[in-house]
Amino acid sequence: MKTLRFPPALAPPGLRRLGLADIAILCLLGGVIAMVVSFAREFEAPFSQAVRIDLSPAALPKYTLYSLSRGVLALLISYLFALGFGWAAATSRAAERLLLPLLDILQSIPVLGFLPGLVLGLMSLFPTRNVGLELAAILMIFTAQAWNLALSFYNSLRALPQPLRDACKVAGWPPGRTFRQLEVPAAAQGLVWNGMLSMAGGWFFLMVNEAFRLGNHDYRLPGIGSFMSVALDQGNSQAMALAIAAMVVMIVCVDQLLWRPLVVWVEKFRLDESSGGGPAPSSWVLDFLRRARLPRRAAVLQRRAYRRARRAARPLERPFRAVGPIILRGPRFAFEHPVPRKIGAGLAIAAVAAAAALGAWRLWLLLAQLGWAEWGELVSSAALTFIRVMGAVIVSTAWALPAGVVIGRSPRLARALQPVIQVVASFPAPMLFPLVILLFERIGVGLGLGAVALMVLAGQWYILFNVISAVAAIPQQLKDATTVFRLPWLARWRSLYLPAAFPALVTGWVTAAGGAWNGSIVAEYMNVAGRLQVTKGLGSLISNATAHANFPLLAGGIALMSLIVVGWNRVVWRSLMGWAQSRFGLET
Amino acid sequence: MTPGAVLLEAQHVTQRFRLPNGQNLEALRDVSLAVREHEVVALVGPSGCGKSTLLRLFAGLARPVDGKVLYRGQSLDGVLGAAAMVFQTFALLPWLTVAENVTMGLEARGVDGAARRDAVARAINLVGLDGFEQAYPKELSGGMKQRVGFARALAVAPEILLMDEPFGMLDPLTTENLRSQVVNLWRDPATGVNTLVVVTHSVEEAVFLAGRVVVFGSNPGHVREEMVNPLPYPRQERSPEFEEMVDRLHAILTATLLPEPAPATPQRLVPFPRVHVSEVTGLLDHLLTRPDGKGPVFELAEDLGVDYDRMSAVVRAAEQLGWVTTPGEIVQLTAAGREVMAMDDAARKDVTRARLAKQPLFARLVGMLKEGDGAVEDEEVLADLTIYFPFIPAESLFAIVVEWGRYAELLDHDADAGRLTLLGWEGAAEARVE
Repeated sequence: MKTLRFPPALAPPGLRRLGLADIAILCLLGGVIAMVVSFAREFEAPFSQAVRIDLSPAALPKYTLYSLSRGVLALLISYLFALGFGWAAATSRAAERLLLPLLDILQSIPVLGFLPGLVLGLMSLFPTRNVGLELAAILMIFTAQAWNLALSFYNSLRALPQPLRDACKVAGWPPGRTFRQLEVPAAAQGLVWNGMLSMAGGWFFLMVNEAFRLGNHDYRLPGIGSFMSVALDQGNSQAMALAIAAMVVMIVCVDQLLWRPLVVWVEKFRLDESSGGGPAPSSWVLDFLRRARLPRRAAVLQRRAYRRARRAARPLERPFRAVGPIILRGPRFAFEHPVPRKIGAGLAIAAVAAAAALGAWRLWLLLAQLGWAEWGELVSSAALTFIRVMGAVIVSTAWALPAGVVIGRSPRLARALQPVIQVVASFPAPMLFPLVILLFERIGVGLGLGAVALMVLAGQWYILFNVISAVAAIPQQLKDATTVFRLPWLARWRSLYLPAAFPALVTGWVTAAGGAWNGSIVAEYMNVAGRLQVTKGLGSLISNATAHANFPLLAGGIALMSLIVVGWNRVVWRSLMGWAQSRFGLET
Repeated sequence: MTPGAVLLEAQHVTQRFRLPNGQNLEALRDVSLAVREHEVVALVGPSGCGKSTLLRLFAGLARPVDGKVLYRGQSLDGVLGAAAMVFQTFALLPWLTVAENVTMGLEARGVDGAARRDAVARAINLVGLDGFEQAYPKELSGGMKQRVGFARALAVAPEILLMDEPFGMLDPLTTENLRSQVVNLWRDPATGVNTLVVVTHSVEEAVFLAGRVVVFGSNPGHVREEMVNPLPYPRQERSPEFEEMVDRLHAILTATLLPEPAPATPQRLVPFPRVHVSEVTGLLDHLLTRPDGKGPVFELAEDLGVDYDRMSAVVRAAEQLGWVTTPGEIVQLTAAGREVMAMDDAARKDVTRARLAKQPLFARLVGMLKEGDGAVEDEEVLADLTIYFPFIPAESLFAIVVEWGRYAELLDHDADAGRLTLLGWEGAAEARVE
């Protein structure tokens, strides 16, 4: 029998005196409350176009916290969305058939293009307050965060072993309880890791979300992104450096204080019992929290409150139990009887079809305003950007593939570098764009080529990450075999590392190309030190249409980009991925 | 204890599933079975005969497409509250402690406070897990985990205990220990459990536990035979009466598993059993070492360390190739089988090729290939297999056909092009170059 590890005896709660950790927690709580209050005050601030951004270093912490609050708020909304969406898609086959393709499209189209419409719509809802602008910014961050979370939750639900579901059903758990205690915990690991990626993705358009021009209106929100763009406008290099430093500090803090502890904590929710390879990750923050008495005490208080609430609710239980089934009879009849079910499904399909038709009609009205010349312009710009995107993918692969193999091959190197790369990759590339542009100007390279470098910045990490994890997952025995048979290093790469990394490389390409397309909107049209830098391309066309409030052209650009990205994903990447899996997949 | 009133009853139950590839799988067809109070019923049969499906229907975890499941004469609506279930894979929530896992079913049954704590403590004590209340499942061995599974089921004091291969993942020693405990739990009036339904793969287990053994046939699942086991509890595994009962069940199983006496529907084609080349040669090799080259199929299964439905599939394959015959439950090596084992590899392949070409399924395939000028697309073959064998996953049958075809150098398969080619056919070379 295996040796058993006995859990440490629990100390009776509340007997220990407060420790340092508890004081820290209290301070932290106070800080969070203060932040929420000040953010809410800002939220309600009377609307004034173009908030004045104070470029002094003292104002930076406040701006950083504002931006962070937006990101966290958007992430919370994304999680709620992901839970609802994933659950619906995994539970109902009809919903699945509709929602999955929708998700696939939503995550591959350039959502930035919807910003103007969103802002105008929300501004008209809240004309006198800043709320509209804030909501628009949060929603834009949400659109960069939500999709992979939803997909991850859906996949976890689908992968849940049937016996576990059966066990919950046999135990008589209501669906709500199964959701809380089986479905969400089983998906926790995926949700946390994807939350990390989402948070990083959400920062990508920070600068644009917080400060952008629409026609002759200048919309700004206080935040680190707008700080950076004002600094850029004024050519204030000290402020730029400060903004970048603040961003790095924020990313490191979020990583250490939020994600690391979460990652370690969700190890508990692993379904398979393998350790996942390598030593268990650790987090000093979580260790610190675990040592603290306060959370345990809070749990006791919470349990006590819950019990009290249940006791208070007991008189209500009986009438509810009597009335509940009567209330539920209608929906149950509708769900279980074939005729209302068919009618309901028909109505749902009709509603979806009507909405789609209406959307297509509105889009058609917009696009009908475009002339032949403009269409020609759109197509030639798209071709240019397409070439840049492919170039960016090739350049990224050229450095990230060998680097990824080298890092992934050595567990020690991977362990040491992974957290560093993670932080670096979370840094929003567009914030570095101006620096790169200034550098290129000095060497004498125009934005036409420079945009490729910017797209590399936007997409390279996906390739690197995927290659590292694929190479790290190669079974030790295969590596041993190449050693035993004394393969020269070139043959080793050719026969083992590159084929094993290939399926992951293709996955990396899909995301990197998506990132590059998105990046083109910022990379091909940039305001540096008061000068507008533009190069022809679909991205600059979209940015330009936004700046001049040319909605038909904007709609055309977005539609074309979405079409290209989705079409390319569906046709090229997908067939390549299928081939890579069947030919080079390690699991047979 | 003598069987009493009917507790659970399946009436003309049919169950179908849609497979991911769009095929419809009929797991059960027109199955009727009644379980009485104080009974222990074992469901046995080859894998894929729908015995686990029937168990899930009894638990109310699924609804039959056709027919009814009754509990005490009442049609089942939703999960059966009077039953608890034990799973082959334990199905413990890894993030809950042993005590929390055991508590799972109590809350929904309205057991609260002190009563709940008592019930948990009693169930944990019954399975001998005291001291492990705060352990997490991953800290326990397989046997301990299954004890938690039993404790969780016993905590709700169920009238009926449904067990889906409860010892399937445990080692023999743990199994022996746990299953005598199951009998004790059933006989102990304090547990509240008075009826057991157990799905099992093991003949000994069925004879050890059950008062009635129901034998299932497959494709689609149906009840073939029932055997009453009147041995008194506790049963002694080494006693001659026990051995005799095991032999009787073996004989019944052999009669139902080996050459299907009368197929449910007349089929023109006989599917080739899904076994590998090496398994058949392994069987022949083993038969050569036995006196007269023969032996009962269950003894062979035991000697070779495979379960009996796997063994009987291998025997069926060897029989289709004419290398063994099966009078009764005895497997007898034929003269052709002896000859083929004496041959060298190349000659053996030639003989196999000749035999396979006569096997109806391969003969049909070869015909298709000749029509297609030596090459046929995979999809076409898969579609053909699906039509003829709707209840067998076409992909796995296809994989076996390719393996045997390749071994006998009768067929080749180009995985990249997704095409099957006939070897030794003048058109085939061109088709492959193309």
